[in-house]
Amino acid sequence: MQKVGIVEVTQSSGVESPLSLMEFTYKPVKELLDKVDMRRDEVDMYILAATDVFHSGMSCANAFDWDASGAFMKPASREEGDAITAFVYGCMPIMEGRYDTVLVVGLIKGSENPENDTLTSFVADPFYSRPVGIQETTAAAMQMRLYLQRYGITEEQCAKVVVKNLGNALFNPYAHIKKRVNVDDVLNSERICDPLKAMECAPKSEGVCAMLLASEEKAKKLTDKPVWFKGWGSSMDTFYLGDRDLLDTQLKAAAASAYKMAGVSDPRKEIDVAEICEPYAFQELLWCEQLGFCAQGQGGKLIDSGVTQITGALPVNPSGGVLAMNPYVARGLYRVAEAALQIKGKAGEHQVDGKVNTALAHSTYGFCGQWQGVVILGS
Amino acid sequence: MGRAVAVIGTGQTKHGRRDDLSYPDLVREAVKKVFEDAGITPRDVDGVVYGSMPSMMEGVAYNHFYFADALRVVGKPLLRTETCGSTGQSVAHTAIHWVASGMADVILAIASEKENEGDAQATMMTILEPFLQVVIGGAPIAFSLQSREWMGYYHIDDAKAREAASIVSVDSHDGGLANPLAHIRVKLSKEDITNAPIITYPVRFYDVCPISDGACAVIFASEEKAKKICKKPAWVKGIGFRGEEYFIGDSSKAVWQSTIEASKEAYKEAGITNPLKELDVAEVYNPFSYQELMFLECLGLCPPGEAPDYVIKGTFSPGGELPCDPSGGVLCTNPIGAAGLIRVAEAALQVTGKAGEHQVEGAKLALSHAMGGAMQFNGVTILGSEL
Amino acid sequence: MAEQKEKPRKVAAMGMVPYEMALGPTWTRFFEGFKEKKILGTKCNKCGRVLVPARPFCSRCFEPMEEWVEVAQEGTIVTWSYVNYTYFGVTPDMIPLIGATIKLDGVDCGTGMWTQIGGFDIKDFELVTKKVKVGARVRAVWRRKRQGNFRDIDYWKIIE
Repeated sequence: MQKVGIVEVTQSSGVESPLSLMEFTYKPVKELLDKVDMRRDEVDMYILAATDVFHSGMSCANAFDWDASGAFMKPASREEGDAITAFVYGCMPIMEGRYDTVLVVGLIKGSENPENDTLTSFVADPFYSRPVGIQETTAAAMQMRLYLQRYGITEEQCAKVVVKNLGNALFNPYAHIKKRVNVDDVLNSERICDPLKAMECAPKSEGVCAMLLASEEKAKKLTDKPVWFKGWGSSMDTFYLGDRDLLDTQLKAAAASAYKMAGVSDPRKEIDVAEICEPYAFQELLWCEQLGFCAQGQGGKLIDSGVTQITGALPVNPSGGVLAMNPYVARGLYRVAEAALQIKGKAGEHQVDGKVNTALAHSTYGFCGQWQGVVILGS
Repeated sequence: MGRAVAVIGTGQTKHGRRDDLSYPDLVREAVKKVFEDAGITPRDVDGVVYGSMPSMMEGVAYNHFYFADALRVVGKPLLRTETCGSTGQSVAHTAIHWVASGMADVILAIASEKENEGDAQATMMTILEPFLQVVIGGAPIAFSLQSREWMGYYHIDDAKAREAASIVSVDSHDGGLANPLAHIRVKLSKEDITNAPIITYPVRFYDVCPISDGACAVIFASEEKAKKICKKPAWVKGIGFRGEEYFIGDSSKAVWQSTIEASKEAYKEAGITNPLKELDVAEVYNPFSYQELMFLECLGLCPPGEAPDYVIKGTFSPGGELPCDPSGGVLCTNPIGAAGLIRVAEAALQVTGKAGEHQVEGAKLALSHAMGGAMQFNGVTILGSEL
Repeated sequence: MAEQKEKPRKVAAMGMVPYEMALGPTWTRFFEGFKEKKILGTKCNKCGRVLVPARPFCSRCFEPMEEWVEVAQEGTIVTWSYVNYTYFGVTPDMIPLIGATIKLDGVDCGTGMWTQIGGFDIKDFELVTKKVKVGARVRAVWRRKRQGNFRDIDYWKIIE
C-alpha cells in the first residue's frame, strides 16, 4: 500500500459570489495548479464531489462541473454526497500504485440553492417521513432535545459552541459568517425549531475546495511539507429515526476504524487538532463524545473546560467550522483541507499554538448524522 | 496496479415495470440475489458503493439514506459514485479501486433505477443549465444528433445506416428473448423496425431503449478472498474512464475521443492489442441502435466508418466473431443508473459460463461499457476468466 | 408470506424546488451581445481556439479566455435531428422541430442546442430532407424584440 500525501489545498470564500458556478469552480482549481506549478493535463486523475439537482439545479452534476474541475479527457469520477468521500476515493488509486497524482475538488454555490431545509426534506422517504415534515433541522431538534434531557447538557453549553466557532472564524479569511457573538445573543436568537435557535444552525454558503494528492515520492518533490493520509473510517446508520438511538451514532464505529488504521489508541491525547462537521451547535459536543474526546454525556463539560478553544489542548474547529461556513457537499473536504493546513503550519491567523502532528477531519450528513466519516492526517 | 480484483457474484432484479414493489424492495431483490450467488453474507462485506441517476429522477435526494437497510450497509462505510448514464461503470470502478488500494477486501457495488416513478426525459433536460443549451434536451434528440453527425462525417448513406441499425436492433431483441431478466422480450424482424414510427429521425421506435425499473449488485473481492470464496471468479483485467467538455459542440461526437481513450486505457491494462480478435463478447451500452454503430468503431472493434459493413456481414451478431450484447443490451433493458453495472454483471456471467440461454460459448474475455452526461462520459471495464 | 389480496398501490408525488442561478460576468456579456444582434465568442491565447458560447476559460489549456471576438452569424450544419414527439418542456404545439449543431464560420466548435432550423414549412418532412443536410449553410434570424437570452435568435435559416 503506497503512502498518500496532501501536497497543497486551495479554497474559496463562503460569501455569495456573482460568478457563475463554472467561473467560481475554475478559480480555486486554477490557483491550485499554479501553486504546484503543474499543467492540468499533468495530473493523473480527477475526483469531483458535487451534488445533483436539489443542490445545484442541474442533474448529473459532473456534466456541467467537468470543465472547471480540470477533468477534460483525464481518468476521473464523481462522488455524490459529502466531499470527504471524494478525498478518500482520491487516495485509493495512489495507494494501489495506479496513479501518482489525484486532484480532488468539492464544489457548491449555496447562494443559488433553496434553503437547506427545503432540500433535505427530499431526503425523507415520500410515504412516512416527508409528509410529517422531517428534514435535517427538525430531525436535529429532536436529537438535541434528547441530548439535553438524557445528559443534562444545558442550552448555554450548546450556545458556547457558536461563540467559540464564530470567534475563530473572525481569523479565517474564507469564512462566510463573521460576527462576534456572546452566549446571550445565541440564546436570544429566534427559536426556529425548539430547542434549536437560529444562530445554532449553519448558514448556506458558497464553497469550492481543491486539493492535490500525491504518492510519497511525488509529494516530496512537489512540496517541502506533505501531510500524510493516515486513516479513514466511515459508517452508515439505518434510515428511520425511530429505529435508532439518536445519541449513539455510527460516528463511534467510523472513529474506531479510522483510529485503528492510523494507529491512534488515545485520541484525546494523540490528536492535536480536530475539524468536525457541526451543522447544529450541540452536535459538536455530541460528536466530540463519540470521537472519544470525552466520555459519553460529558460534551457540555468539555466545552466548559476550554479544552476545545483554539488555545486549548485539543482545539476543535479553529477555522470556525460549519457554523461559520456551510458549503453543503464541499464542507467535508474543507475539514480535511483545514486539518492539513494546521499540520503544515499554514493556517495563518487561525493556526493553533504548538506543533500539530496529528489532525482529525470529520464530516457527516443525513438526518441526525446518518452517515459519518473520519479522516486522520499526520505530519 | 495494486492488488488483483475479481467479481465473485452478481445479482439482478427482474427488469421491467415493477409497480409491484417499492423502490427499497427493488434494491433488496438484487442485493438478496448477489449474496445467494456469491455464497457469502452481508457480514463478509467491508463496504458498499452505490449509485443511481440524480435526485430528480429518483424522487428522493441521496436515496442511499432511505435504502440503507436494503443496501445492507448499516454499520459499514458507503461511498456513492455517480456520473450520469455511466454511473454503473463508475460504481464498479470505485469498488475496484477500493479493493485494489488495500483498504477493503470485499466490496458490494449496487446501482439501481425505478425509472417509471419519475420523469426521465425531464431529468435529462436538467443536465443542461437553463441559459445556454436548454432549448431542446432529452436523450433521443441528443443521440440522434450524434448518429447523424457520425453518418455525415463518414458519408454513410441513410439506407446503409438503417440496415445496420436494424440488424443491431434485431440481434439485441433476440438477446432479450434469451434473457429471462430482460425487460423487452419480443421477436422483431428488420421490417418491424424500419416500419416503426419516427421518434427523432433517423431514430425509429425500436431503435430506442425502454423505460425500465431494475437494480444490479456485484461483489468485488481481493485475489486472496476471491480464491477462498469463489470457485470461478471473473477477474478485472482493465478499466478506463474519460469525460469531455460540457458544451456539446466542443468535440466530435462522430469520432468520440472519450470512448476511444477510455477503451485504450482499459485495453492497455488488460494487455489487449487487437480487441476484435482477443475479446470473446462485448456488452456495449446501446440505448439507441444507431449509437452502437459509432461505439463499435470508437471502442476499436472495427475500423472508423466501417461499422455498418461489419454489422451487415454479421461480425457482431450471435455466432459472429465478437457477439455484442447477448443479454439484449440497453435496447431491451434500461434502468439508467443500473444499466452500466448490468453490463459489468453480464460480462462476469459470460466469462464464468453462467449466462444460461444467452451464454456465448467458451467466452473468456469480455468488454463492458457505458456512457453518460451531455454526450460526455465513457467508462469501460474488461473482465476475464483467467487472473 | 400469505397471499395478499390488495394490489400494491402507487402514490402521486410532486416536488417544486426554486433556484436563482448566477449567469456570471462571461455569459452576462455574451447575452448582452444578443441584444445588439451580435454573437460573441472568446479566444484562448494558448491554443487559439475561438469558442461560442463565450467561455470564462479554456477547458483544455485551463487558461482564462479573456479575449472577446465577434463571430460570423453564418455557419455550417454539423448535425441535425427532426423531433417529432413530446416530452417534458416540449409541447404538441412545438413539434415538429429541428435541432442542430452549427459550426459558425471562424469558430472552433459546434454550437448546439439553442439552435433550431426554421423559416420554411418543417411539417413537410420530404422538404426537410431535401433542404436540411449535414454541411448545409445557415444564417441566424433574430427576433425583433430581444431580451438578452437564447430566445433572441428566432431560428436558423437555410441559405440555398
